[in-house]
Formats: sequence, C-alpha cells, structure tokens
Amino acid sequence: MTERKKLLIVDDDPDFVAGIKAILDTAEYETDVAYNPKDGFAALKARRYDLLLLDIMMGRGAEGVMMARKIRKDPALRDLPVLIITGIREQIAFLFPGQAVHPHFVPLDELLEKPVEPELLLEKVGALLQAAEARRQKV
Amino acid sequence: MSARSAVRILVIDDETIVLESCSAILEGEGYELATATDGAGGLETLRVFRPDVVVVDLKMPGLSGAEVLEKIREADPTIVTLVITGYATVQSAVDAMKRGAYDFLPKPFTPDEFRLIIRRAVEKRSLVLETIALRRERELLREHFAAIVSHELKAPLAATQQSVFVLERELGRVASPDQLARLARVKVRVGDLLQLIETWRCGVSVDSEAIRARRAAVPVGVPIAKAVESLAGAAARKEIDIAVTVPEPAPVVWGDQGTLTETLVNLLGNAVKYSRVGGRIAVSAEAYGATVRIAVADTGVGIAPEDLPLIFDAFYAAQPGAAGERGSGLGLTVCRRVVDAHDGTITVHSTPGKGSTFVITLPVHRGDGPDAPRQEAQPLAAPAKEGRR
Repeated sequence: MTERKKLLIVDDDPDFVAGIKAILDTAEYETDVAYNPKDGFAALKARRYDLLLLDIMMGRGAEGVMMARKIRKDPALRDLPVLIITGIREQIAFLFPGQAVHPHFVPLDELLEKPVEPELLLEKVGALLQAAEARRQKV
Repeated sequence: MSARSAVRILVIDDETIVLESCSAILEGEGYELATATDGAGGLETLRVFRPDVVVVDLKMPGLSGAEVLEKIREADPTIVTLVITGYATVQSAVDAMKRGAYDFLPKPFTPDEFRLIIRRAVEKRSLVLETIALRRERELLREHFAAIVSHELKAPLAATQQSVFVLERELGRVASPDQLARLARVKVRVGDLLQLIETWRCGVSVDSEAIRARRAAVPVGVPIAKAVESLAGAAARKEIDIAVTVPEPAPVVWGDQGTLTETLVNLLGNAVKYSRVGGRIAVSAEAYGATVRIAVADTGVGIAPEDLPLIFDAFYAAQPGAAGERGSGLGLTVCRRVVDAHDGTITVHSTPGKGSTFVITLPVHRGDGPDAPRQEAQPLAAPAKEGRR
C-alpha cells in the first residue's frame, strides 16, 4: 500500500473548498486547505505536497496568478503539479493576452472550470499525480 | 486640462510682428505659449511642445497653412486648430475649415477678438479631451463591469453547484428516487443559470479591439471541426446528422480562432435547437474571391419573415425551439459582433417549416504580408487597453 497522497487546496470560497474537499476525501487523499495565497504559500513551504489545487480569481483580482508565478520562480516548488480551478474562462485569456486559454504556469498543470464534476476532478487529480510520478522516475 | 497644468498654444506665422502681438495679447492669461515662423518649424515645435491649440497663418512661404493644417491633423486629430487669414475671403476660410480648422480670424484683428477665439478653441479642446476620456471610461466600464459582475454572480452559484454535485454523489445510495430527481432538477436549473450568466457576459463584453488584435491565419476547417465536435452530443441526442463540407486544402481566413469557434458553436447550437428529431444540418466552407463563406444550413422549423430583421438584435426573444427550448436572445447578437470585428458579414435565409441557412463571410488570409492583410485605419481615439492587475 502506497502512502496517501497529500493535496493542498488554496481557494478563498469556503463553500467551494468544502465541496472539493468532500470529493477528494472519498478518494482517500489527504487534503489540507488554505483560504488565501499567503497561507497557501506558507503551507507549501512547511510541508511537502503531491499536488496543489489553486483558485485563480482570489481576493481583489487574480491573486492566484501571483501565487502561481511565485511557485514557478521557486526551484523547490516548480515541479509541483498544479490543478488550476477558475470560475471565469475568459478572465484567463484576458490576463494572458496572446496566449491560449490554458496559461501553463508550471511544467505540470491542468485547468478546470468551477463547478467541477466529481468524476472529472478525480480524473484530473489522478492524471496529474501519475504524470508527476512518471516525471520523477525519468529524472 | 488632462494631467497637465497650463493650456499650451502654438502660433505659426511668418510675420514676427504678428507673433509678438499674439504673445502680448495672451500674456497673463495663464497659457503656455510657443511660436514658429514657418510651417516646417511649427511642425517641429508641435512634436515637442504638444500644444492644445495651434494658430496657423494661411499664407506663408514654404509649407502653406493648408498643408500645415493637414499635417497637424495627421499627427494628432485632437489638437484644435485656428487659422489667421490675411485675405479675408470666405473661400479660404471655408477651405481651411474643411481641412479641419475649428475657426478662423481675418487680419487685422483686435486683441479682444483674438482672446475670444482662443478662449473658444481652448473650450473646444477641453470638450474633445473630455469626450475621449469618457469614451475610454465607458469602454473600460463595459468590459470590466461585465466581467466583475458576472464573477460575483457566478462564484456563489458555482459553489452552490459544487455542493449539489457532492450531495448527489453522497445521497446516491440513500435518497429516494423522488429526492434524487429533485436534486437533479436543482442541478439543471443552477447549470442553466451559470450558462446564462456566461452568455450575457459574452454579449456585453465582445471586445472588438481584442478580437482584431488576436487575428491570425486560421484554416477554416479548424473552428468548424471544433464547433461540430462540441455540438456532437446534443445533435446525437436528437438524432441529427451534421455533414461538413470543407475543400482540401481548407480556405484560410484572417481571424481570431477562439471567437470564430464560439460563433460557429452558436450557429450550430441554434441549428440543433431548431431542428426536429432526425433532421439534417450541413456546414460548408468555400473561398469566394477575397472572402471565405461559411454556411450553416438546417432543415428545422425556420424563421418567420417578420422576425428575420430582428434576430440579430440584443435580447430579441426568439420563438421556442423544436422541443420548446428557449434562448437568451443574445447568441446571434454575439455572433454579429464577432463577425463585425472581423470585417465580415452574417446573413440569413429562412423558409418557415423548411429550415434556415446562416452565411458568414470573412476576409480571406492573404499569405503575402507579414501578418496583416492590409493597414488598418486607426480609430480616432482608441481606448487604452488596460488589463486588470
């Protein structure tokens, strides 16, 4: 039996977090929660996670984007797979003009729109964790 | 006026006596003044001095006043120009006004006359600047308001829907079929509402400038294939066959793939919605001179002749679809705005009971230029593109 995967959810909407966490808990993941980017980043620094679920539109604007940029710049965190969860598809294109809708913040990331169908969420999380595993073994 | 303190006035006249008296008249009025003794020098000064108002003598050696007016208008059409004319004929003044001059002053003039015309020009300039600022503000409001409001509306709904998803999963084995059916209705209604907000947001915030900026060479088969793919499920449920005819190689349009795809999704979605079970939809594309025509034809319920002129208007409530479906009244409006931003056209032919055909005509991509097929005329006052940070 392998160790339970550790997931961190960073999202400022407690109701949404509760919904996501309930789904992930049924799949035997260990999930921690942070309700703002600052706490989220501190959690990432304090503990090793296997996956980050990050809300893009937090607080006043796109604070999640700032957090993603910080992660990209941090050599210790750069390889952490990130599942970006956003409410507004268009906003992403707006924030990253000239880029495809998917911003590709870090080497391994995926994009999901709120609300997320439980099966789709579990599928993406599983796929990202697997891809990260495959990358690790290659290195 | 704008962010600067003093209003700047530039006087261009070959007679130094005129320049001196103009300076003397305006002394103490709080203006910042610059002078030039010929057209070339005046235009040189224009670049660095960035005046609000320019006074030009019509009759000068070298560059004529008329040419100077033209050049000023090219450089900055918001600058207010006045002409001084020695030969006080109506014709020369009219000519100057045609070239964009705001007003004229025949020589000789009194200090009061000069002061008055300058005051009026300064007023005009401040109105011009205010109009530009307001227009820009309106654009930003329109774009940002739509995005922010829809986010405020969508976020709580999305969280609600997320909980419904979880409940459905958790209660799957313990709730009664009736309870699960009620939950399923909640999910459908919340989903419809989310979709509606998204459609409204798109309708309000079609950003023509952004679409134009994103244009590139798009093989027309790509957005067509994507649109057909996204409607495949809905079509299959109504046993509708979608036939696609695109020549090989596919014509290449000059466009924005994302919004073109959305437009085709919209048209195809309508075709499915207004088709009866077992109907047929044909999507075709062909090059036609300097344009590419994309047609979406259905064999559905059609559109009444009296409705045809209205269907592209915002919030025009369309008749229910073949199975009673209702639209937001915005889909075709969004389509037209997107096509307009592409310098294209969208037309419709329809026979009630027989079906409708929508035809989009888009400029073909000419492979010669670096990227743009031709020079775009710059709008007089392009709104500043400021992203949210």
